[in-house]
Amino acid sequence: MTIIKKFEPDNQKAKFPKKYIAVTLLSLFILTVTEIWASNTLVTYGDKFENLSYLSKGLEMENRILENDIAKHASLDSIASKSASLGFYPSESIQYIR
Amino acid sequence: MRTFWIKGFFLLFFLAILARLYYWQVMMAPFLQSLAEDQYFTQAQVEALRGNIYFSDNSILASSNPSFTIFGLPKTLSKDQKLEVSYKLARILVDEGENIDDLAKNFIKRMEGDLFWVLLKKDLSLQKKKEIENLKLPGIGFDKSSTRFYPEGSSSAHLLGFVGIGAKGANKGYFGLEGYYDGELKGVSGLIRHEKDALGLPILIGNFYNSEAKNGKDLSLNIDRSIQFIVERSLKKGLEKYGASAASVVVMDPKTGAILALASYPNYDPLRYFDFPKEYYKNSVVANQYEPGSTFKVLVMAAVLSENLVKPDTKCDICSGPVSIGGFDIRTWDNKYRPDLTMTDIIIHSDNTGMVYVGKKLGLDKFYSYISNFGFGNPTNIDLQDESSPDIRIKKDWREIDLATTSFGQGIAVTPIQMITAVSSIANGGNLMEPHIVKEIKDNSSVFEIKPKIVRQVLKPEATIAVKEMMVRAVEEGEAKFYRLKGFKVAGKTGTAQIPVAGHYDPNQTIATFVGFAPADNPKFVMLVKYDQPTASIFGAETAAPTFFEIAKELFTYFRIAPTE
Repeated sequence: MTIIKKFEPDNQKAKFPKKYIAVTLLSLFILTVTEIWASNTLVTYGDKFENLSYLSKGLEMENRILENDIAKHASLDSIASKSASLGFYPSESIQYIR
Repeated sequence: MRTFWIKGFFLLFFLAILARLYYWQVMMAPFLQSLAEDQYFTQAQVEALRGNIYFSDNSILASSNPSFTIFGLPKTLSKDQKLEVSYKLARILVDEGENIDDLAKNFIKRMEGDLFWVLLKKDLSLQKKKEIENLKLPGIGFDKSSTRFYPEGSSSAHLLGFVGIGAKGANKGYFGLEGYYDGELKGVSGLIRHEKDALGLPILIGNFYNSEAKNGKDLSLNIDRSIQFIVERSLKKGLEKYGASAASVVVMDPKTGAILALASYPNYDPLRYFDFPKEYYKNSVVANQYEPGSTFKVLVMAAVLSENLVKPDTKCDICSGPVSIGGFDIRTWDNKYRPDLTMTDIIIHSDNTGMVYVGKKLGLDKFYSYISNFGFGNPTNIDLQDESSPDIRIKKDWREIDLATTSFGQGIAVTPIQMITAVSSIANGGNLMEPHIVKEIKDNSSVFEIKPKIVRQVLKPEATIAVKEMMVRAVEEGEAKFYRLKGFKVAGKTGTAQIPVAGHYDPNQTIATFVGFAPADNPKFVMLVKYDQPTASIFGAETAAPTFFEIAKELFTYFRIAPTE
């Protein structure tokens, strides 16, 4: 009986590494597949990245053009000619209130 | 023996392989590596944006607009394609007054040669580029660049300068602020380098080397947009009205040296600078010299008062007739002589003989020292590229007649910026300020403020008070009294300087000026108006003075200054 008891723990110890090895191998396999999948997917994202970068630059450019357009329409030369066409003119006699 | 030869053969064979491997792996390694990198790396230069220039109210004076250069790749196109592409492009790119056929023929001619790359057109807008891209034409491409944009048109052209092409083909600022601050405005280009796939697209998990472009710094100016507008409008009107060959105005805050407005005509369009004569590029306010004439009298009077050598009511004892010095007769401008003139009367009547008296009182040593202390003979260090400074004769070369004529502003050359800086010292209580156009230099992370700088104290405060009063009376009782603004205390002085031509003064060609500040007791601005060779009248009192008061009237409203009387 004593001998049998001695052998039981040895059998149990031998079973554990197999599980670990299987889990490790499975994890490695999943990781490898994921990496291959991610790499392949990301590689094809190059064109999307390029498009986004192009779009971002385009928007920045348009923003700058619009800012400059606003500045042009808000220039004193433009305001003076527009206000003159609307009938506004500088006051000739200013009254000062004390 | 046979084994020996076989062994020897194998040994030689291995040595040959080793030598070849050494050649490819070690000696040729850098070359092959660069070839490989060229194959799987792509790099693009990121152009730095030129900094903007802002008025004091943060509205844009100069900015940059993206623009494109369109190029053709003739080697990739057949003859029919070249024809088709040229006509389609010409329809979009044709300018006003240009013929589509002529432009298309021009494109065809450019693409005729057996070349890889030909320039078709520069400075295309983003909108035009999009229109062309929508056509999906073969054998063309675009390069990005930028062009300067001026929302106020040719306003402040002399102040700004322009952006042209430098020796290395890159944008470079010339003249004015663009030239002076080119280093700050241009920025530093960046470089993007990344791995690419077979289609030339970036590989996201590949290697990226990114050296960011550093955009140019922005300039925030002391120039007030409203004052600049008022000044330019009045000056242009005056130039036409008085038939002058050139005109300029500069307005300065006497307490800080900040330049509030600066304009000169004839000017040019900074976008199309190449269409204008090169003589127009220089800013006459800082680059052109002239004889200041009677406006110089206030400085000499301030100097003699500062030395306590006379008092405002001291009487001139040589003013009853022309004064003879070294064989020359010095007369008054109107040939009228008033015995017992006081110092105040000398300024009111702009009396040359009185100024000879003042010059003699001061003496050459002190006179020369004051000229230097007022900043004449040296650049003012204004932040504009084209500043020059006329030389002042060395002291030992001065004769008695030179001292006499210089005391009323003849025989000395100055620039308008030197003159206004000197007169500012009367307005602010005696300090010579360094004039500045730029208030702040800014980038994304920092702001560098240019603080007011006192160069030196030139005059005693008591002397400046006395000269101010003389200048106020010169406005109220002098030749320009018809244009004065009722109720406002303005200090000023007219100047009519003859132009030296071939060793003598031409009496019919003058430089008419008016310099003054207001309100006299607490000046908000000091202004110099100058007309070159006005034809309507040769006198400063009838040309420069009316323009001064026209601008001053609007400035009083702008600064919300009410009349005191």
